[in-house]
Amino acid sequence: MGTLYITQDDSFIGKTDERLTVRANKQTLLDVPLIKVDGVVVLGRATVSPAVVMELLERRIALSFLTSTGRYLGRLEPELTKNIFVRSAQWKATLAVSAEQHAPSEAALHLVRGFVRGKLKNYRNSLLRAQREFPELQLQSAITQLEQAIDPIDRTNTIDSLRGLEGSGSAAYFGCFNQLIRVKAFQFAGRNRRPPTDPVNALLSLGYALLRHDVQSAVNLVGFDPYLGYLHTQRYGRPSLALDLMEEFRPLVVDAIVLSAINRRSLSPEAFVAEPLSGAVSLTSEGLRTFLRLYEQKKQSQFKHPVLQTQCTYQESFEIQARLMSKYLMGETEKYPPLVLK
Amino acid sequence: MAEGEYIPIAALNQYAYCPHRCWRMFCLGGFVENQYTIEGTSLHDRVHTVEKGQPIGEEQQEETWQVRAVWLKSERYRLIGKSDLLEAQDGRWYPVEYKRGQRGDFENDELQVCAQALCLEEMTGQPVTTGYLYYAQSHQRQPVELSADLRQRTIETIAAVTDLLETGRMPPAVYSSRCQGCSLYSQCLPKAAVKVSRYREVE
Repeated sequence: MGTLYITQDDSFIGKTDERLTVRANKQTLLDVPLIKVDGVVVLGRATVSPAVVMELLERRIALSFLTSTGRYLGRLEPELTKNIFVRSAQWKATLAVSAEQHAPSEAALHLVRGFVRGKLKNYRNSLLRAQREFPELQLQSAITQLEQAIDPIDRTNTIDSLRGLEGSGSAAYFGCFNQLIRVKAFQFAGRNRRPPTDPVNALLSLGYALLRHDVQSAVNLVGFDPYLGYLHTQRYGRPSLALDLMEEFRPLVVDAIVLSAINRRSLSPEAFVAEPLSGAVSLTSEGLRTFLRLYEQKKQSQFKHPVLQTQCTYQESFEIQARLMSKYLMGETEKYPPLVLK
Repeated sequence: MAEGEYIPIAALNQYAYCPHRCWRMFCLGGFVENQYTIEGTSLHDRVHTVEKGQPIGEEQQEETWQVRAVWLKSERYRLIGKSDLLEAQDGRWYPVEYKRGQRGDFENDELQVCAQALCLEEMTGQPVTTGYLYYAQSHQRQPVELSADLRQRTIETIAAVTDLLETGRMPPAVYSSRCQGCSLYSQCLPKAAVKVSRYREVE
């Protein structure tokens, strides 16, 4: 089962015995055993019964709220785990080595290098794959730029310069992202957000919001304070650590789904609507259901974890990476290996 | 561990099984139920019903009294816990601990019985010479001889657990055959340290 997505406006989420029920317009849309649910995401407006709120908190199931277009609003969280050891290691690593030099701690530097390296290597690998599959594409210069951003990462000693490398690598990748789209009706001229004004950006933004719900759940489960990150600076109400850990998964999960949804024509241009004036583009309710199904399928698909050498789903890999991060911070392992897939 | 706090008897069993697991369960609260612990729970639910003065079927001894789910406590060893079953014969009490499955290769269950006996001795003022382990899968009750040796090992384990709960220092996760079937495996990932050090990221 996994995550439950509720997209029907004005639906009522209730609890009957040990089951979660979703009703709208006097009809039951969903009726699932709670034991099969590990997350609930509400897109748009829904009523959540007090019994459901208590049950979800009891069972430590996260409930996230997104706007009907998929912009992340916030979430209802059970109390964080009692894992004070992980959290104190997490806090310790944020302390700079010396105040006057603003030198980050070795652990913070190591993690940020890992997040950035993981993300950029996955960007590069997906371009390499596309180049092999479609030799006519002009991806070589972007691949070279990514290589040039990846190469100095492990010799770079400030978080700001690492952010710079991450920025230039991402720019190179998104600069040729349009070539990865092989359906004429969809064009991508660069990232835009808040609001996204074209279908491709609308899908990317929605995908990243869903990914954030999942990665943040994993980060919480392991015992971290999700609001304290290393790459993303602390800003009030921003789950920086979840955003940090998300980096390596963006291309692996979201970009892959968006490209296959478009290229395999699971979503046509008719699945999108544009708002007047603002130009904000979003999916129709049918298109949204399609995309959510693809996202859930992707999360349940299996691959061999390169470090643990065991089969796992993407859903499980969020937690595995969070655990590997906690092991590094707790001194159990000598490094944090970001998830890099060929 | 603050003044006035007691060590859960169950923690001794866990510590003897695996110190790292004990740390996860009692220092982190990262306890996840797997089929074994769930089965264990329902088995315990069956055992934890209070009956007084019921002769037990198995041994048909008229003079055996049973009390279930009694709090046990020892001031001397700072122990606290619940017994599955206490029985008395001729005014002498002894503990019976229920376990799912069969007897394992480890003596952690014996330690738990011994710790219960230490509490009982303090509470009743009477010596306890034998306790019992009842394994649900084999329907067998096995006597646990409360020898000086077992008592010594139990007291050493109590000291180790006291230290663990006071310092919160994490014992290393060491992989062994015991890891199979451990409900905390996916949190502990005992092979991760070796695998991470061997791992070479794609250039």
